[in-house]
Amino acid sequence: EQNFEVEDYNFCRSYGTSITKQEAGEQSFELSFLYFFASFSRHKFRLVGKLSPFAGMKHLDVAGGTGDVAFRIYDAVYSVKRRALQKVDEASLEETQIYVCDINPNMLNVGKQRAAERGLRDNKSLVWVEGDAEALSFDDNSMDGYTIAFGIRNVTHIEKALAEAYRVLKRGGRFLCLELSHVDIPVFKDLYDLYSFQVIPNLGELIAGDRESYQYLVESVRRFPPQERFASMIADAGFEKVEYENLVGGVVAIHSAIKL
Amino acid sequence: MYRAAAKRLLSGGFTATRLLRFPKLRSTIIPYSYTSGLCTSSMGDTESSMGNQFSNPNQSGPTASSSAATGEGPRRHESRKPRAEFQEEQARVLSASLRHVPKLGWTEEAMMAGSRDVGVSPSIVGSFSRKEAALVEFFMDECLELLIDRIESGLGLQNLIPSERISELIRIRLEMQVPYMSKWPQALSIQAHPVNVPTSFKQRAMLVDEIWHAVGDGASDLDWYVKRTILGGVYSTTEIYMLTDDSPEHRDTWAFLNDRVKDAFDLKKSIQEAKYFAQDIGAGVGKSVQGLMNGVMQTMSRSGGSSAF
Repeated sequence: EQNFEVEDYNFCRSYGTSITKQEAGEQSFELSFLYFFASFSRHKFRLVGKLSPFAGMKHLDVAGGTGDVAFRIYDAVYSVKRRALQKVDEASLEETQIYVCDINPNMLNVGKQRAAERGLRDNKSLVWVEGDAEALSFDDNSMDGYTIAFGIRNVTHIEKALAEAYRVLKRGGRFLCLELSHVDIPVFKDLYDLYSFQVIPNLGELIAGDRESYQYLVESVRRFPPQERFASMIADAGFEKVEYENLVGGVVAIHSAIKL
Repeated sequence: MYRAAAKRLLSGGFTATRLLRFPKLRSTIIPYSYTSGLCTSSMGDTESSMGNQFSNPNQSGPTASSSAATGEGPRRHESRKPRAEFQEEQARVLSASLRHVPKLGWTEEAMMAGSRDVGVSPSIVGSFSRKEAALVEFFMDECLELLIDRIESGLGLQNLIPSERISELIRIRLEMQVPYMSKWPQALSIQAHPVNVPTSFKQRAMLVDEIWHAVGDGASDLDWYVKRTILGGVYSTTEIYMLTDDSPEHRDTWAFLNDRVKDAFDLKKSIQEAKYFAQDIGAGVGKSVQGLMNGVMQTMSRSGGSSAF
């Protein structure tokens, strides 16, 4: 059951209905196309790099239905080169569990299909779970890592999602969030605003005939709390060592924290 | 690494001039080694733990990524206690990791094993800045602390002449590394990484400073920097010699150490000797160069006139 508040409905309506893999792919392609200068996939690599995945870890990736982050973590843990460098025993490799949680079953299906294409259809390490970031179905203190990439902006109650993240993480577990954020650099900020409010809605009009959705998208990015405010929200949820790293001058930011 | 100096501050054995010699470099400080509030306020960066401000580590243009590790990173807006908790936790994990170093080396595996011992998820290792370096630097700090403790609890150094005191102190310090000797080359190479050099250099500088302080400054009239450099050299060469020493109880290393210290103490004399020696040969060399120049000048004045220069 999906509860979207009215204001979110506009943006999420295309995700709320069943869409084909092509459409889902196009949607996320659109986003990374619109923010082409932010090169999302490079930043997802950076996110996983910061996480430093290890064999035997239990990881939860939220709102990552299509599996971008999950596949990267899987590769990081299972890459042959890495295994050669470190002394990893097969037993702990077997224990690795990467849970992908998404509120939208269609996105999960896309992810499962992509997993099948990589030959990971029956792999026990990747687990696709349908769930709500604000009410996770996982046990307390069960995860070594929690990531959410370009997903927390769409969560209705961010504090709830943060509280849930805190709940499911083990002691010492890390929280990492990759999200579109605020730019402060003088000239670049103006350019970015210009691009966001002038170019994107017009592109939307041109390509999809849907100015409102894109206008809404841009506004939702602006409405999301700025880096420091979000960091303090994370701290309020109980996390320690809250830090953030600006990428592309602040267009994208990675917030990280630890549960202690 | 300021724990060591801070302890001296508290115990009153610290002079103001020494305090000034180690100005804090923001970019090289390992956050976990901040001491208690009392000490950070006197020596620390005031906008760090005490400030409780979120500082934006955003630096240059759109393509640059600013890492929270190089700057001080945002702080919690609440009391300092929670941040100190992370540093304590980190210290605890690193301390537990040391036990695994002889088998696993100065690596993430050792730190993950250490974190499991403490009862914390190995994920925490991912958040340590410059991971393996954090472990090595923690160890160096610990050794310095131990050394200071040993010095303060009395070693009977008064009965020894300065050169023997230095030998004794270096020996004590190097013996702390014996359990990790098989993996020490790895630690040295980690310390030599450009990223880690500022911190390791500082730690060694502090170590050398402590040793000279314990020996008693003013033993000779050599310059402060020369003294530290010489001792740093003696310490490093002995450390490296020790890597390949198989003799029982490292006897060869201590013999080597004594020789080096003796050389160092004779350095003042040998500098003087070197000067005389240079003058002796220099006289001959200098004369011939001078003769050449004179000849050139004469030729030029004869042919071109004084306007040549």
